[in-house]
Amino acid sequence: MTIEQDKYILKVEGLAVSYGSFEAVKDVGFSVLQGEIFGLLGPNGAGKTSTLSSIEGLVKFKNGNITLNGFDVQRQPLEAKASMGVQLQSTSFQAELNVIQILQLYAGIYGVPMDKEHIKAILKEIGMEDAGKKKFSQLSGGQQQRLSLVISTIHNPKLVLLDEPTTGLDPQSRRQLWERIEAIKARGHAVLLTTHSMEEAEAVCDRIAIIDHGRVIAIDTPHALVEKHRNDPEVIAVSRRGKITLEDVFIGLTGKTVRA
Amino acid sequence: MNNDMENNNVSIPKTSTALAALFRADLATTISNRRSVMISLVVPLIILATWKPVIKFAGGPFVLATAIAIGLIAIGLMGYTLSVARDRDKGIFQRLRVAPVPTWAIMVSRIAIQLALIMVLTLFVFIVGYQYDGILLSTKGYIFTFFVAILGGAVYLSLGQLIVGLIKNFETINATTRITYFLFIMVGMIGDLAKFSQQLKDIIKFSPYGSVKIMLAGSMEPANWTNQTSIAVLVSLGYIVIFAGIGISKFKWSTK
Repeated sequence: MTIEQDKYILKVEGLAVSYGSFEAVKDVGFSVLQGEIFGLLGPNGAGKTSTLSSIEGLVKFKNGNITLNGFDVQRQPLEAKASMGVQLQSTSFQAELNVIQILQLYAGIYGVPMDKEHIKAILKEIGMEDAGKKKFSQLSGGQQQRLSLVISTIHNPKLVLLDEPTTGLDPQSRRQLWERIEAIKARGHAVLLTTHSMEEAEAVCDRIAIIDHGRVIAIDTPHALVEKHRNDPEVIAVSRRGKITLEDVFIGLTGKTVRA
Repeated sequence: MNNDMENNNVSIPKTSTALAALFRADLATTISNRRSVMISLVVPLIILATWKPVIKFAGGPFVLATAIAIGLIAIGLMGYTLSVARDRDKGIFQRLRVAPVPTWAIMVSRIAIQLALIMVLTLFVFIVGYQYDGILLSTKGYIFTFFVAILGGAVYLSLGQLIVGLIKNFETINATTRITYFLFIMVGMIGDLAKFSQQLKDIIKFSPYGSVKIMLAGSMEPANWTNQTSIAVLVSLGYIVIFAGIGISKFKWSTK
C-alpha cells in the first residue's frame, strides 16, 4: 500500500447508536486513510448502516466522536457533508426529474457550477449520452447506480461513502462499478463502502473492518485477515474446499446463524 | 482537533444557491405531476360553474371564498402532504439531507412552491369568477384576499404537516388526506346551506375550513370586516401554530 499511515480522512471513535432501548452500535472505532478503499462488513443488523448513517449525519449518536476531513460531524455538519459524497443503500431521486435536471439539482446544492458542456462530459463519462432527457424511473438499475455514483463525486469530495453499492447488479455492471470505485481512489478520494460480498471486499478494498453486534471484531487488509485467522478452529470448521477464504474468516468470526 | 488529521478547507455552497436549485427541481416536479395541480383547480372551477344561483342570496364573495378555500385544501392536503409523504417513503429526503444544505431549506423550497400555487389558484378563481359569474371586487378586496389566501393556505399546509408528522406510512397518509379532503368538500358544499343545529353550525364555522372561508369572505369586502372575521383570523393562526408545532416536532425524515 502506498498510503501515508498518519494521514486519515475519517476517524470514528467509541461510536454508540441507540434506537430507543435497542443498542444498534455499541463501540465502533476505525479510521479511513487518504486514498484508500475501506470496507465495512457485517451480517444483517450488525450496525453497518447505523455507523454509516452516523457519519452521514442522518442519525444522532449517543456517544463517541466522528471527525471527517478535520470536521466534527455533529458540531460542523455542513463542513463535514461538503467533504463527503454519499450513495445511499436505496438512493432514489425524484421520479419526475430527468437525468439532466437531477445533475443540475445536485450541482446546485453542492455549489458546483455546471454548464451544458460539463453535463455532456459527465453523461459521456458514465456512458449515458443519450439518457439525459430520460426520467430517473426510466433508467435501468445499472444506469441508476452509475448516475448515483457520479453525483456522489460531483463536488470532488475527500471521502465517498457507498452503502452496498453493487446490490442487485448483474456481474457486468458490478465489475464496471468496481472499476469506477477504483477510479475514484485513483483520483485521490478515499472510499468507505459497506458490502455483503466477500468477493467485492477482496477485489476492491485495501482494508476491511468486520462489525458484529455493534462492535468491530476485526480490522486489517483482506489478505492479512485470512492469514491471521486461517488456523482458528471456527474458521477451519466452516471452510468448504480446504482453502481458507475471506468468507470463511467472516463466518468463523460472526457465526453461522442467519440474521434477520 | 488532532494534528495528524488532514484538515482541508471546504467550500460550503451558499444557502441561496442551494435553495434556488431545490426550488427549480421542486417546480419541475410539480409541473410534471399535473394531477395535483389539476385537482386544486378543478373543484373550485366546478363550484364557480354550478353555484351561480347561490350568488343571488349568498353574494359573490361567499362563492369566491368557498372556491378558494376548497382549492387551498387541495393544495395543502393533496399537493404538499402527499409529495412530502411520497418523497420520505422513497428516501429522497435522506439523499438531500446528506448534502451540505440546511434541512430547513428542503422544506422552505417546497412551501414556496405551494405558496406560488396558492397565488395561481387565487388569481384563477378571481378571473373565472369575473368572467363566468360577473363577480367583481374592489382593488383593495383583491389585494387583501391574496394575503388572506396565503394565511388560509398556511392553515392547510400546517394540517398537512400534522398528518405527515403523526403518520409515517405513505398509504395511510394517502387515505387520511383523501378522507379529510372529502370531508372538507362536504362541509364546504352543504355546511352553510343545510339545516344543521346551531351547535354543529358553530363547529363548522370555526373549523379549519370555516374559519378560512370566513377570513376570505371578509377580506373580499374589507369595508364589511366584522368581529367574526377577526375571530376567524385568530382561530386560523391558532390552527397554524398547533398543527405546525406538533407536525414539525413529530416529523421524521425517514420511514425507517
